[in-house]
Amino acid sequence: MKVPFVDLKAQYQSIRNEILPQLEAVCENTSFVLGPFVKKFEEDFARFVGVKHALGVSNGTAADQLAIQSLIRPGDEVITTPNTFFATTEAITAAGGKIVFADIEADSYNIDPEKVAAAITPRTKMIVPIHLYGQPADMDPILEIARKHRLYVVEDSAQAHGAQYKGRTAGSMGDAAAFSFYPGKNLGAYGEAGAVTTNSEAVAEFVGLYRDHGSRIKYEHEIEGHNMRMEGFQGAVLAVKLKHLPAWTDGRRRAAAVYNELFRDVPGVITPKEMPYSRHVYHLYVIRVKDREGLSAYLNEMGIGNGYHYKYPLHLQKAYAHMGFREGDFPVTEKVMKEIISLPMFPELQDEQIEYVVNAVNKFVSK
Amino acid sequence: MRVPFVDLKAQYHAIQPAIDAAIASVIKDTAFIKGKYVKAFEQAFAEAYGVAHCLGVGNGTDAIYIALKALGIGAGDEVITVANSWISTSETITQAGATPVFVDIDPDTYTIDAGQITAKISPRTKAVIPVHLYGQPAEIDQIAAICRAQGLHLIEDCAQAHFVTYGGRRVGTFGDIATFSFYPGKNLGAYGDAGAIITQNEELAARMRMFANHGALKKHQHQIEGINSRLDGLQAAILSAKLPHIHDWNRQRYEHARRYNQLLAGVEGVEIPVIRREHEHIFHLYVIRSGRREALRAFLAEQGIETAVHYPTALPLLPAYHYLGVSRDDIPVAAAYQDQILSLPMFPELSREQQDYVVEKIRSFMGAS
Repeated sequence: MKVPFVDLKAQYQSIRNEILPQLEAVCENTSFVLGPFVKKFEEDFARFVGVKHALGVSNGTAADQLAIQSLIRPGDEVITTPNTFFATTEAITAAGGKIVFADIEADSYNIDPEKVAAAITPRTKMIVPIHLYGQPADMDPILEIARKHRLYVVEDSAQAHGAQYKGRTAGSMGDAAAFSFYPGKNLGAYGEAGAVTTNSEAVAEFVGLYRDHGSRIKYEHEIEGHNMRMEGFQGAVLAVKLKHLPAWTDGRRRAAAVYNELFRDVPGVITPKEMPYSRHVYHLYVIRVKDREGLSAYLNEMGIGNGYHYKYPLHLQKAYAHMGFREGDFPVTEKVMKEIISLPMFPELQDEQIEYVVNAVNKFVSK
Repeated sequence: MRVPFVDLKAQYHAIQPAIDAAIASVIKDTAFIKGKYVKAFEQAFAEAYGVAHCLGVGNGTDAIYIALKALGIGAGDEVITVANSWISTSETITQAGATPVFVDIDPDTYTIDAGQITAKISPRTKAVIPVHLYGQPAEIDQIAAICRAQGLHLIEDCAQAHFVTYGGRRVGTFGDIATFSFYPGKNLGAYGDAGAIITQNEELAARMRMFANHGALKKHQHQIEGINSRLDGLQAAILSAKLPHIHDWNRQRYEHARRYNQLLAGVEGVEIPVIRREHEHIFHLYVIRSGRREALRAFLAEQGIETAVHYPTALPLLPAYHYLGVSRDDIPVAAAYQDQILSLPMFPELSREQQDYVVEKIRSFMGAS
């Protein structure tokens, strides 16, 4: 048996008849960049998240950058975790901010509010919690710290489409939020796409201007911006797929429950913990084992897709060597990141596939 | 009659089976990011240009930004470019941390006045970005010679100049790096945002690839901070389907331009574009000048004729660049032309009737008042 890490084809087969006519409609209308198909999706997505504004942009990195840049000034410190995709911190720098890391919690893998409080300086302006793997960060204490210190909060929701924190939807709790619609995401485009969500008029205005060369009216540039627009194709695809997202989320949660159940009797495997405050949407199903390199190699042999999210903590990346971090600076992240491995996870995952994966893991860890 | 400024639908209908098939195969293969369709287009485009490296990127703006970063241009550096262009050319210079230095345009070709470049060079100058505007090559021979003599990098902005030659040689092959936009209305246009970079320099190519991919050559190993700028698989497949047609489309544009020129020659108050015998022009835009531009434009709009202005404000005169303190007197040609230039309908499928109608209305406007 082969179990892919993600299976985009299975999903496409199920919605083929809805997608193709939409793409042809984009061609017929020649609405290739922003335009009515993007606008329709923006409206639908804003409603889905429960915010006033959603702005379609070119990808998740751009969404991060614009959400952050709309709220800070050059040189402001921005607190985030070293356990995330590189795009988050790249975006902080691109937005003019200075990266400050705070360690994660050992059970949720999300930013630790206590560590955030300890990292605040007079120059701190923003906290960027990441709802990693599809589970919201512990937002109430984070929002409380932000209120107390007058900091902005941008939720990096790249992996958390439709995830909930005490009944509130990821992307609706901070001053702004950034989403990625990379194809493999829970809500994935057919190419690069992203969005910024916000209730703030000022944020929405900045993002709307900056994504299209600082121009509200064609050729009238109020500020310098960039080209970070969502494509018409992607707006059309995402609008179709958004309607299916709740069912796909249920599929992922069901698959996670099956995994958890089967792993219960496997010693040496730490399964993901769904925190009492959260409704996890399992963008990734991440377990921890002692020898993840060995397990990865074994799974590859068995035809089972797997990955690391992520392989190295950000503070130890070569790109940040100039910041002078050392091993031991963020011990929880460092420990967790040596043990994590992501197993196949997508809505259409079958029970037999999950059993096959769990058996393989079991066989390896009990060797 | 209605004459649109561009008619992308006409082109789509002409090649619909190929486009629909391209889209369907990308989706079937779920090759949305990187993947074989991007690779195939990069190879085909590099081959068509006879260069060693082509890198597909998110759009034409990213292309310039990535080129600047790969050349190590940053804070404290100056980059010389042209006063009349789309804002991408200069906003990317700022974004890289450098300062744009604007040069006026040549009164005949509307491209950078090569004779004024040397005077703008300072010890901090690192690069020159000429723009082959409207589909007409800048004086790239002379510009390349200046860059060589002064040790400056040369980035050719070919956003509007796909496959046009200067003295028989393709523009985009004179500098260190050339950048392209495939915005839908371009001579070679995608169905969304897309761009490309070409170069002969292997080291530059590798650096650009790394920068455009989050600063990582190998997954998870980020050498530097970069950006996410990728050509989508869908756009690559569409561009590959369109690439074989580019020379026909360029020729049709050129024929339309020649005909416009013939029909408008001698019309009082209208300046037609110059076609040089020794250099090609592929007329991404067909731009005339008129002292009564706004009135003419309004009149044509009333007659159902769409026009545009490229561009209504010379870059240094935009609010975004007030801090540079450039005045109209510093760039007299661009400053004067910005109020006179008018882009007429131009696309390969433009019919004779449409063209005749446009010309007739211009003539009647000019004669009647």
